[in-house]
Amino acid sequence: MKKRIGFVAAMAVVGLAFLSIRYYEVDLPIWHLLGGGKGLDPATLHLRGEFVESNLGAAEGPAGSVTVRMIAQQFVFVPQCIVVPADVAVTFRVTSADAVHMLSFLGTNYGLRAVPGEVNQATFTFTKPGEFKVPCHEFCGAGHYAMRGQLHVVPRDQFASLLPGERRTCEPR
Amino acid sequence: MSHASRVSRAPTAVFWLATLLGLFAIPLSLAKNHSPAQPANSTPPLRIPSDVAWTQETLTIISSGDSFRGLLLARRCNHCHGEEGFSSVPAYPNLAGLDRLSFWKQVEDFRSGKRISPIMQTIAEGLAARDSADLAAYYALLPTASDPLENRAFPQPMQDPSRATIAIRLIVFGDGQRGIPPCQSCHGPVSYVKGAPRLDVQNGTYLAEQLDHFSNGSRTNDINVRMRSIAIQLTAEEKTALSECYGAGLGPGANSR
Repeated sequence: MKKRIGFVAAMAVVGLAFLSIRYYEVDLPIWHLLGGGKGLDPATLHLRGEFVESNLGAAEGPAGSVTVRMIAQQFVFVPQCIVVPADVAVTFRVTSADAVHMLSFLGTNYGLRAVPGEVNQATFTFTKPGEFKVPCHEFCGAGHYAMRGQLHVVPRDQFASLLPGERRTCEPR
Repeated sequence: MSHASRVSRAPTAVFWLATLLGLFAIPLSLAKNHSPAQPANSTPPLRIPSDVAWTQETLTIISSGDSFRGLLLARRCNHCHGEEGFSSVPAYPNLAGLDRLSFWKQVEDFRSGKRISPIMQTIAEGLAARDSADLAAYYALLPTASDPLENRAFPQPMQDPSRATIAIRLIVFGDGQRGIPPCQSCHGPVSYVKGAPRLDVQNGTYLAEQLDHFSNGSRTNDINVRMRSIAIQLTAEEKTALSECYGAGLGPGANSR
């Protein structure tokens, strides 16, 4: 009986190892062949999808939730200046048009990677109003060190509610 | 004996069968929800800066350009852009040595009306899709070395050589505090991005005009707001300095050329 338990346990370990190897060596390659992970073409971001230039910036959902859509590209973030309300859960949806970039919100603990072909999403709540620098935190090319955006966190009452089709940035225009 | 072997073989067979059947189940289920669900927000009216996208098909069309046919076609461009791709009027751009992608993109944007120019829109409408690739191939081949026999506007001496410091600083280092990347990281010679033309042999007057158009929103054909978001942060003095410095062939030392 003891021997049998040992045999079953050993088989379970081997089976788990087999399954995990199968996942990485078979399932993921098949997934990529089937088009998984290529949901977004970095070359056509400006033509269709949610990252067209008229849709970038802060948008407000029906329940007062704020969603910010951004593109990171060599060597600017678009929009370069984001404005969000404080003490509200802000969902960032970020993609890249070329290389891998990373938003890191200086002065906070938050950061988000921008990967070409993928949408990275994270929800942050900024408690402290103020202006934060958002440098690129992933080496992306010759102009990487000057790639820097801005985040303005304003108190909730100063962030006027957005209309359904309205997008807000703090770019000087 | 046979009984025992059947007992031990059955789970193994089930295991292998399940593994093989499941081979396509997991990737198929993964492929369906590969990106997080998009929150439902009503979208503002779609604005497309340019119909050009750097897809593989576009790159194939551009790279199939025939430079000899481009040479024959270029006779209709010579009057304004010069016989060797250097314009005699400083407000018209030089085309010599311009890379194929940026040349082709601008012609396509003139044709589709994404870039506004009363002169060039009419001319681009008269070109076939193949013609712009041929012209792009021809102008990319033209040398940029100076030719004393030709009447070219480039280079022009800087109005105020002291501005060169501001310009060179922006070209080489950019301004990290404002998020302005160095010009040379996209427009060369350090590195290039697709669609960014070289600027080292461009006319200053033309550059000043384009920087103004980008910053005041009258030119909007840059993909993903790249150039607009940079130009809008430049001060008037910086714009002048940059365009004069590039128009002088990068620096006041170029005046003697």
